[in-house]
Amino acid sequence: MTSETQHQELLAKYAEAVVRVGLNLRKGQRLIITNATSRGVPPAGREFVYAVTKAAYAAGAKYVEVIWGDEEMLRLRLQHAPADSFDEYSNHIVDATMNMIQNGDALLSVYANDPDALAGLDAERIAAMQKTHLTHYNKIGAQVSRNAMNWCVVASSSPAWAKKVFPDLKQEEAEEKLWQAIFETTRATLPDPVAAWEAHIKNLKARAKYMQAKKYSSLHYKGPGTDFTLGLPNGHIWGGAQALAENGVIFTANMPTEEIFTLPDRHRAEGTVAATFPLSYGGSLIEDFSVTFENGRIVKVNAKKNQAILQKLVDTDEGSTRLGEVALVNATSPIGKRGHLFYNTLFDENASCHIAIGRAYRFTLTGGAELTDEEFIAAGGNVSLNHVDFMIGSPHIDIDGIKDDGSREPVMRAGEWAFEA
Amino acid sequence: MTEQEFDQLLSKYADVVVRIGLNLRKGQRLILRGILEDAPLMRKVAESAYKAGAVYVEPIYTDERIARIRFEHADPESLTEVPNWMLARYEEYYERMDAELAIQSSDPELLAGIDPDLIAKERKAIRQKYEPLRKYENTTNWCVVATASPAWARKVFPAVPAKEAVEKLWAEIFASCRIYEADPVAAWQEHVEKLKKYRDYLNAQKFTALHYKSPGTELTIGLPEKHLWQGAQAEFKNGITGIPNLPTEEVFTTPHKDQVNGVVSSTMPLNYSGVLIEEFSLTFENGRAVKVSAKKGEETLKKLIETDENAARLGECALVPNSSPISQRKILFYNTLFDENASCHVAIGNSYRDTIVGGEDMTEEEFAAAGGNKSLVHTDFMIGSDQLDIDGLKADGSRVPVFRKGEWAIKV
Repeated sequence: MTSETQHQELLAKYAEAVVRVGLNLRKGQRLIITNATSRGVPPAGREFVYAVTKAAYAAGAKYVEVIWGDEEMLRLRLQHAPADSFDEYSNHIVDATMNMIQNGDALLSVYANDPDALAGLDAERIAAMQKTHLTHYNKIGAQVSRNAMNWCVVASSSPAWAKKVFPDLKQEEAEEKLWQAIFETTRATLPDPVAAWEAHIKNLKARAKYMQAKKYSSLHYKGPGTDFTLGLPNGHIWGGAQALAENGVIFTANMPTEEIFTLPDRHRAEGTVAATFPLSYGGSLIEDFSVTFENGRIVKVNAKKNQAILQKLVDTDEGSTRLGEVALVNATSPIGKRGHLFYNTLFDENASCHIAIGRAYRFTLTGGAELTDEEFIAAGGNVSLNHVDFMIGSPHIDIDGIKDDGSREPVMRAGEWAFEA
Repeated sequence: MTEQEFDQLLSKYADVVVRIGLNLRKGQRLILRGILEDAPLMRKVAESAYKAGAVYVEPIYTDERIARIRFEHADPESLTEVPNWMLARYEEYYERMDAELAIQSSDPELLAGIDPDLIAKERKAIRQKYEPLRKYENTTNWCVVATASPAWARKVFPAVPAKEAVEKLWAEIFASCRIYEADPVAAWQEHVEKLKKYRDYLNAQKFTALHYKSPGTELTIGLPEKHLWQGAQAEFKNGITGIPNLPTEEVFTTPHKDQVNGVVSSTMPLNYSGVLIEEFSLTFENGRAVKVSAKKGEETLKKLIETDENAARLGECALVPNSSPISQRKILFYNTLFDENASCHVAIGNSYRDTIVGGEDMTEEEFAAAGGNKSLVHTDFMIGSDQLDIDGLKADGSRVPVFRKGEWAIKV
C-alpha cells in the first residue's frame, strides 16, 4: 500500500528523471506535452503531467504547452459522424508541434490511454480516420525520425489500462499496481534514479557498440513459429538509449528503454515470424499473429483476433508492407522478467526483441537524415506513414548474426545475450 | 437525481446548446472549448452535433492547474511567452466559419494568492497575441454555456458536501437554461420574443443617456447617437441566427466612451482571472474612471483598468430586471455568465461592434468617433439591485422611467 505522500514523491522523482535524463530539457526551451493516438494526453494522465510541468519549469522551461485529448470523442466521432466526413482533420496539434520543433523546443508524449478505446467500432471507419490522421501527422513523424529535437515517450497509469493489465484486481489496486510497475521499470523507486539511468545507458551503449563493430549483413531468428532472416543494410547504425538531436541536445527517447536497435534492409526479409505478444494498434488488440515475408515484403498475415485490422495496417501504404526497425532486448530485462503484458508498446517492446512495420528512423542509417526519400529507400531504408512495433522475442528464441562471408555467430541464445560487452 | 436522470438532462441541455444556442448547420465543423471537468457536457454536445450533421467536432481542453503551476514554478520573465500557433488555429476556424462553443466553468479561486502583477502581465500578453481575432467578432455562430465543475460548485455552495454542491449547481444551470421545461426549445423561443420586445422599445426611444440612481451610485451614461440595443438573439456574419449566451436575460448596448460621469458601486463581487474583487466603486469623468476603491482586490482592479489606454472606459451597459429567474435565486455564482443575468451591469473595456449601427464595417477610427470603445479587456461587473432606478434621457430634455426599484418601468 502506497500512501498519497509516497505516491507524490515517486511521481516527482519519475518526472524529474523524465525531464533530466529523458528530455534533458535545456534552460529556455519550451516543452510540448501531447499524445498522437488520442490527439492529446488523456485526462487520466493529469497528475503525472502536473509533476512533469513542475519539473520542467524548475529546469528553466520558458513555456510548457499541454495538449489534452479525449478518447471518448474519437469513439463518438466514429459512431455518429457522417460516413464521408473522415477526411476532416484539425491540424492544430501538428501546427503546434511543428511550431515548437522549428523553435528548437522539446516534445514529450505521455501515454495514459485505454488500450481498447476503439474496441467494437467499425474497422473501415477506424482505418479512414487513422489514414487522415497519419497523412497529416507524418510531418511530425518525419521530424522525430531524424531526431530534429529532444523528444521522449513515457507513460502514466490510467484506469482502463490498469484494468487491462491486471484484470483480476480491483480497480484501485490495479491502478496502484500499474503505477508500481511504471515506477520500478523507470527506476523511480531507486534512491538516485538519475544516477541509475546513467549507469544503465552506459551498458546499453556498450552493447550497441559491440553490434556496430560486427557489421553483420543479416540476422537469423529461430523459435516456435519463427524461422526468419532479416537483412541489415550497409551503413546501418546500432543505437541504444541515448541519441543526439539536431538541436544539439543528447536525450533518451523512451523511458523505460532496454533495447538496442537499427534499421533492417527493406528489401531483404525472408520467412515467417510469429508475434510473441498481442499488438495494441489504434485502440484495437491484434492477437496470436504471424507475418510472412518474401524479398522484404509482407505477403501474408495471420491473426486469431483482429486480422482485418492487421491487414488494414499493412495496406496503409507501400512502406507498411515492409520493416523499418529491428531491436534486441534480453528476455530477463526488468520488464521481461515481470512476466506480464502491458498491452503497450513502450513497455512490451522493452520486454522483448521486436521489429517494426513501416518507417525506419533516419538516424539509424549513416547519413540518412540528408537523403531524399528515394535515396533512403535505395539504401535499404523504409518510408511509410506507419511505424508499428510488434514483439517477436521470448526465452525460446535464438538469434545468429551472419557476416558477409556467410559465417555465423550467436547474438542471443534462449532469449539472452550470447556475448559480453 | 439518479445517474440516468442526470444523463437525460445533460442530453437535453446539449440539444438546446446545439439547436438553440449555436443553431448548428449540417456540414459545419464545431469547436468546443472547455476545461477537462467539462468533458461530460462536451461529449454530449459532440454527439448531438454529429446527429445534427456536423462533419467534425474538435474538443480543445485546458487544465486550469497547469495555468496555476506556471505562475507558481515558472520564471516570471517567461510569463509573456505565448505561442503563435494558437492564433493561427483560431484564424483558420473563423475563416472556415466553424461554429464555436465556449464552456465557462472555471474555479473562481484558481489564482488566489498569485501576485496580481504576474497575472496582469500574463493576461496582457495573451490578449495582445489574440488581438487580431477581434475582427472575427460575430463572424460565426458561437455560444457560451457552463457546467457544474467541482471547484466552482464548492465556491457557490461552500456549506454542503462536495457531491451535493455539484448537484445543486447543476440544478441551477438546468433551471436557468429552461432544461426542466417540457419543451425547452419552445420555452426558449418564447423567452427570446420577450427580450426582443424590450430591445425594440429601447431602440425606438433613441435615448441620449441613461441616468442610474441607487445607494452608492449616481451615474450618467451617455449613449452614442447610433447606439443599438441587442438582446438574446444574434445574427452572425455567416448568416446564422443563434443565442450567444445560455442563460441570457439581458438587453444591452454600448455607452459613449467619452460620456460617462459620476460614481457607480458594484452590487456583487467580481471574479477576475481567479481573483475576487469585492465591494468596489468607480468614479468616472468624461468617460474615464479616475478613481477606484475596493474592500478586497483593489490592486487587481487597478491593474485591470490599467491594461491599456481604454480599459478605464466602459464598453457595455446591460439591463436585467431584479426579478429575473437567476436574480431570484439570490445566489452569487462567481461566474459572469450567470451573475450578469441576475443584475443590471456595465463592462469595463471593449464595446461590441454590433452595438453601434454599421459598427461591424467601421474602421477603428470611425468606431471610436461614433463613441465605441476599443480595449484588450471586456469585463462585466454588476450594479443592479432592488433599489436601482434608471431614467432614459431624450434629446429634448425629457426623462422616461426605464427601471424602478430594479424592475422594468416600461410596458411592452
